[in-house]
Amino acid sequence: MPIRFVMIAWMAVIGPSLSDAAFAQSASPSGQPAKPPEASADDLDGQQVFLNTCGFCHQDGGRAQGRGPKLSKSERSDDYIIERIKKGKPGAMPAFGSVFSDGQIIAILAYIRGLDD
Amino acid sequence: MSAHHRSARIKSVHSRARYLGSCAAVALATMLSAAPARAQDAAALNAEAAQNDWPTHHGTYKSYHYSGLEQINAGNVKNLEVAWTHFPERATRGLQSTPLAADGVLYYSGSYSRVYALDGATGRTIWTYAPELDEELVAKQTHSPYNRGIALGGGNLFVGTVDGRVLALDMKSGKQMWDTRLLDSKKVTVGFTGAPLIVKDTLIIGAQGGEWPGRGPIFGLDTKTGKKKWEFFTVAGTEEAMATWGNESWRTGGGGGWMPGAYDPETNSVWWGTANPAPLYDWSGPDWKKSGARPGDNLYTTSVIALDPDTGKLKFYHQELPHDAWDFDSAVGEFVMLERGGKKLVVHPNKSGFVFVYDRSNAKVENVWPLVKNINFVKSIDPKTGELIGRRDLVAGKAETPLCPAIAGGISWNSGSYSPKTGLYYKIGQEWCMELTVQKTTPILEPMAQLNIAADFKLVAPPDGPARGHLSARDPVSGEKKWEVNYKAPPLSSVLATAGNLVFVPDAEGVVHAYNAEDGKELWSHNNGMGHNAGIISYMAGGKQYVAIPAGWGSLVSDEYIALYGEPFKSMAKNTGALVVFALKQ
Repeated sequence: MPIRFVMIAWMAVIGPSLSDAAFAQSASPSGQPAKPPEASADDLDGQQVFLNTCGFCHQDGGRAQGRGPKLSKSERSDDYIIERIKKGKPGAMPAFGSVFSDGQIIAILAYIRGLDD
Repeated sequence: MSAHHRSARIKSVHSRARYLGSCAAVALATMLSAAPARAQDAAALNAEAAQNDWPTHHGTYKSYHYSGLEQINAGNVKNLEVAWTHFPERATRGLQSTPLAADGVLYYSGSYSRVYALDGATGRTIWTYAPELDEELVAKQTHSPYNRGIALGGGNLFVGTVDGRVLALDMKSGKQMWDTRLLDSKKVTVGFTGAPLIVKDTLIIGAQGGEWPGRGPIFGLDTKTGKKKWEFFTVAGTEEAMATWGNESWRTGGGGGWMPGAYDPETNSVWWGTANPAPLYDWSGPDWKKSGARPGDNLYTTSVIALDPDTGKLKFYHQELPHDAWDFDSAVGEFVMLERGGKKLVVHPNKSGFVFVYDRSNAKVENVWPLVKNINFVKSIDPKTGELIGRRDLVAGKAETPLCPAIAGGISWNSGSYSPKTGLYYKIGQEWCMELTVQKTTPILEPMAQLNIAADFKLVAPPDGPARGHLSARDPVSGEKKWEVNYKAPPLSSVLATAGNLVFVPDAEGVVHAYNAEDGKELWSHNNGMGHNAGIISYMAGGKQYVAIPAGWGSLVSDEYIALYGEPFKSMAKNTGALVVFALKQ
């Protein structure tokens, strides 16, 4: 996985707990937030995106098998999960590749990776 | 009406026309032949029992899902065997539709709104139709690509599509007659999965909605041209209703009417059940009239509404759950119309597990009774007024005890059956609860990412035992129970009662059961090899009675069964199906 993805993912995990002030402290010397071009601050709340859209099937916030599989502690690779989010699975999961930005998808992945059982 | 009777009558009228020998006489003859045909069709639609044909989704307008045929009966059902089988293409999420039958031809729909016309006696294919859908859009939808039924009328067959259209096909050839786009599904995400209802020359169909932030329209179309006649918004469809959505939350209100309702010709009213508001759950707590995601009653979601079929105007309504904060919508389509003690009543099940009984002239509540045991979203519902007593309005955070029933409902969209012969209503109930954490959300307007749930949840067993289902035979007005059959996993198929004193239940594990309608004793069973989440009908072809059952697993409720029950659901194929048709051994 490219380093840039990992960085966004890390930010997504801690993002929801960061206040605006805390976020501002990580800004670059120019005063602009140091973030990759394709991600916005809204993208970083992977939990919010997950709950709105994914939690209908991946239940208990992704911790339990429901309509969709349990995601916490998944042994699937990051690439596999990203691919599945983008392309879906006919009859089981919609394709979100044109719905979510790459930043949002990474934020969702980061949320999943941060889940306890 | 059989085909040869119809052609015989047309022939006799035509010979009279030749005798008169004028154009005016031909015109008169056309009118004479059309009028009795319509009268006979109307009589069949208004009957209590479906006889040789199964002309509309709920059997007849009375919604009994009951066959008046008795060739197959409690005495000989042991000789029932498979007569023929049909395999649909692309049965993604199995089969979920209720077939129809007319003049010995069986019609049914599968996923992607594919339609099949088959000889009812042999299963020989007469024609098939596969509409071109927006495949890219369909791949992005959650509540898709299944189809739950079709309608017949005026020589045409009608089917909705998940990409927002309604199509008319010629019943004889399958040729497309018209194609009307009603929804911009690329923007609103949802389309049509439910069967249309035909009333006179109007086709009525409701959009999907619920947790999707639209306004849940129900449409009326001209059956001949496909032209839209009217549109009724189940979310804020009147000034009165708009005032029940604080902070303009009606703009993302949800609603819809995704299963067909029924028609009462005596009052010229179409009864329709509406879906839940969005988000599914609300964090307002008891202050729901003033705060939370959608402050107020949220009319006309989770309601039964009576519309004028000619204009789409609202005549009267009853909101079964004001400010539904539990996803217990009223979209279950059956409206069982019966008379009791000189009163004209209609019985309507709500997803919450309560069954409502109304005065058919004005939707005044006559009784409310619980079909299931595990209910705690309210303490009770006043059987005289319908008022919710002891509401459990949640706040953000984890609910202290599981909510009952679970999101899958105490009742699902599969229909029950009422036998006028036994006076009993046969209905599936579901006993399960769920752990729930309510979350504050903001409506997302981006197409395809609009699902608005506002909670995470997990289905669990109820306090009184394992998660389970039951078929009970009850008085439809009082709810008094005569007998009950229990199932490890709730059946998700509709039920069929017949004049042969039988009740058929195609179950979740794949087994079709036939019970004695009087006492629930099992008389016959057959394993179709995969679960059922569709309809079941009976009809006549070539003088013989058939029972047609679509098998094929994969609805959004059935997807829960892997976690709840493990095998055989863990290994059950989801994207396949078969129409299995039974008849008595020769």
